[in-house]
Amino acid sequence: MRSQRSPLAQSLAAKVILSTVLLSLGVVWLTGSALYSQLSDGIKKVNLESSLADARSVFYNARYQFLLVEGASQPQIQAQVTDVITSSTSIGTTEGAREIILLKIFGKGDTSKNGQQPNYSRASNGLLATTIPENLRSKISKDFELSHQFAPLTYRTGKTIDALYVGQRVSIPDSGRYEMYLVFTLANQGATLDLIQNSLLLTGLVLLLLIALITWLVVRQVVKPVRDAARVASLFTEGDFTQRLQVESNDEIATLGNAFNEMATSIQAQISRLENLSNVQQRFVSDVSHELRTPLTTLRMASDVIYGQRENFDPVIARSAELLIAQIDRFEKLLQELLEVSRFDAEVAVLEPTDFEFIALVRRCVADLGVILDSPESQIAVVAPNTPVHIRADFRRVERIMRNLISNALDHSDGKPIEIECVETLTEVAVSVRDHGDGMEEASLTRVFDRFWRADPSRARTRGGTGLGLSIALEDARLHNGELDAWGAPGEGANFVLTLPRIAGNEISGRPLPVNPHKRSEVQIETI
Amino acid sequence: MTLVMVVDDDQDLAEMLGIVLTGAGIDVDLVSRGDEVMEVFRNNPPDLVLLDVMLPGLDGVEVCKLIRAESMVPIVMLSAKGDTQDIVAGLEAGADDYMVKPFKHPSELIARIRTRLRRTNADVNGSLIIGDLAIDVTAHEVRRGAKLIALTRLEFDLLVALAKEPGRVFSRDSLLSEVWGYRHSTDTRLVNVHVQRLRSKVEHDPEHPTIVVTVRGVGYKAGVVGAS
Repeated sequence: MRSQRSPLAQSLAAKVILSTVLLSLGVVWLTGSALYSQLSDGIKKVNLESSLADARSVFYNARYQFLLVEGASQPQIQAQVTDVITSSTSIGTTEGAREIILLKIFGKGDTSKNGQQPNYSRASNGLLATTIPENLRSKISKDFELSHQFAPLTYRTGKTIDALYVGQRVSIPDSGRYEMYLVFTLANQGATLDLIQNSLLLTGLVLLLLIALITWLVVRQVVKPVRDAARVASLFTEGDFTQRLQVESNDEIATLGNAFNEMATSIQAQISRLENLSNVQQRFVSDVSHELRTPLTTLRMASDVIYGQRENFDPVIARSAELLIAQIDRFEKLLQELLEVSRFDAEVAVLEPTDFEFIALVRRCVADLGVILDSPESQIAVVAPNTPVHIRADFRRVERIMRNLISNALDHSDGKPIEIECVETLTEVAVSVRDHGDGMEEASLTRVFDRFWRADPSRARTRGGTGLGLSIALEDARLHNGELDAWGAPGEGANFVLTLPRIAGNEISGRPLPVNPHKRSEVQIETI
Repeated sequence: MTLVMVVDDDQDLAEMLGIVLTGAGIDVDLVSRGDEVMEVFRNNPPDLVLLDVMLPGLDGVEVCKLIRAESMVPIVMLSAKGDTQDIVAGLEAGADDYMVKPFKHPSELIARIRTRLRRTNADVNGSLIIGDLAIDVTAHEVRRGAKLIALTRLEFDLLVALAKEPGRVFSRDSLLSEVWGYRHSTDTRLVNVHVQRLRSKVEHDPEHPTIVVTVRGVGYKAGVVGAS
């Protein structure tokens, strides 16, 4: 049963560790996310501020440079523009690069000058004006203020990179107004944020593992004593009453352990007291029976000698001798059965199985009892297979069961016929003993195997049965792993069915003969 | 006249046994202690010993072993215990038969004693062969080649019963009635124990018997001459 359940349901430790880890995962996830977003916001803000400061100085420098060339020749201005562009940009498109775009603004009213004024529009790394976000451009064209926007930067090669665009208007002498953009690529910042993210993930993971480990250690501290207790308790249940928990500390677990041990000691004491009582009682019964046997033997021999001389006596004394013999017989039988019962009670009854033929045993019991009890043999009809039925069972006990059943039937048959039927299957043999006497109430059926129980207390004990026969028969049947069932109805007689495994000790798979004789015809019997 | 030694510590029972046996024409020697048995036994060897199991001085099973050590006299154990282990212990110590107190009828006891005293195979004379053993029924001897094998009377009777009808398979019940003289007793343990004892004396290998062969589910029969 245990193996069918999932290991999670079985182990308290696994359950605690799993839930701790799951909860910790949530907490770590939340704190990690918050930390990451704060860090990335901070880093972006610092970067933005430094970039804007950078841009201001670049634009300021550009304006100053362009003022210097006021009135200079076109090539001089051209050279100055180139100088501004190159001094403000980094080389290549590496991380942390800075690009500059300079775009001439074609004012609406300046169309006349458009053709005359030289156009110094330039861009580092051959960037196209289209990469600049439209929003920013319209802002710049309207406003003299410094403006910025985060947007992707697209190189001519098609490479795209996150970037910060900062723009402002500048004027170049003899050429008019320009939009000037400084583009800061954010590759560096991205790398930093990636690093932070990875560190956070790694830290979180390690933290989770550590939490799991700590939980395991803690849980083990609690679970181990509980497991020990469970193991000891189950050993205790299996009958080893000497098992005790080891108590080494002073905590709640120790309290549990002490309580368990006290309980165990108390149970052990109770059981050994009961065992002792029961042993003493069994022994007493057995001793009494044994001690009674020797005087009974003397008694019997003496009475036999007297009985042998009865022809020489007065008829009253002769009859007394007969009664004496009969009562000694009965007394002896009772003694024998008491001894057998005490063996069953002490659970020392041992099965001694041998191979024998069942039908012959049944027939012989019928013949013997017919002779002994002075009943006409025709009163008992036996229906049995024609072929021998070999079984492995305790001959003495099976014979005793049959004798008990048959003499019980004879006791209650009121002289009406008795039917005995034997059947065999592959795994069982069964025999029913049916009488047509007064029968029993249904309520009596449960008590019919009770010791010294009589269906009708006022009824005379015609055959001198001891009142232990059926009880012993049931114990004998069960010792074989067989069963003895009783059926009866008032006025219809009684039926007793003995079912035995063909090999003593095997399980019986059913009842080849139903105990209720009226259901007889409905049942298919598998005969071989 | 036949002499039976009655060993029982219960004075009344011993006296009663004396009365019954004397009435049947048997002389009786009464002994009440286990440790006195051997002295009386040597001074006045009986034809049969009736031996109680529970005895003061020395246990009946031990007494049985002592007697067996020096005599093949028939021994019938008397036991107040019907328990298997006591009976088997008595039989294994060398008892030929046992009776559980109280006996069904005193006449049954007499019958058993007579069976044990009788030459059971009075109808057979001369010699018999079983396996590689030669039995001289008249002289009451069993030999393998020149070697004499010592058997109790009961073991001898058991062996002769099997040998005189070589083809027949004997059920335990039929052996009980032929050798022990039981009319309808059912205790086949007697047969089993004595077959084991007999085998331990006559077989080359008691684990694989060739003289007294088991017929599974039926009983025993004599081994065929020359069969391995």
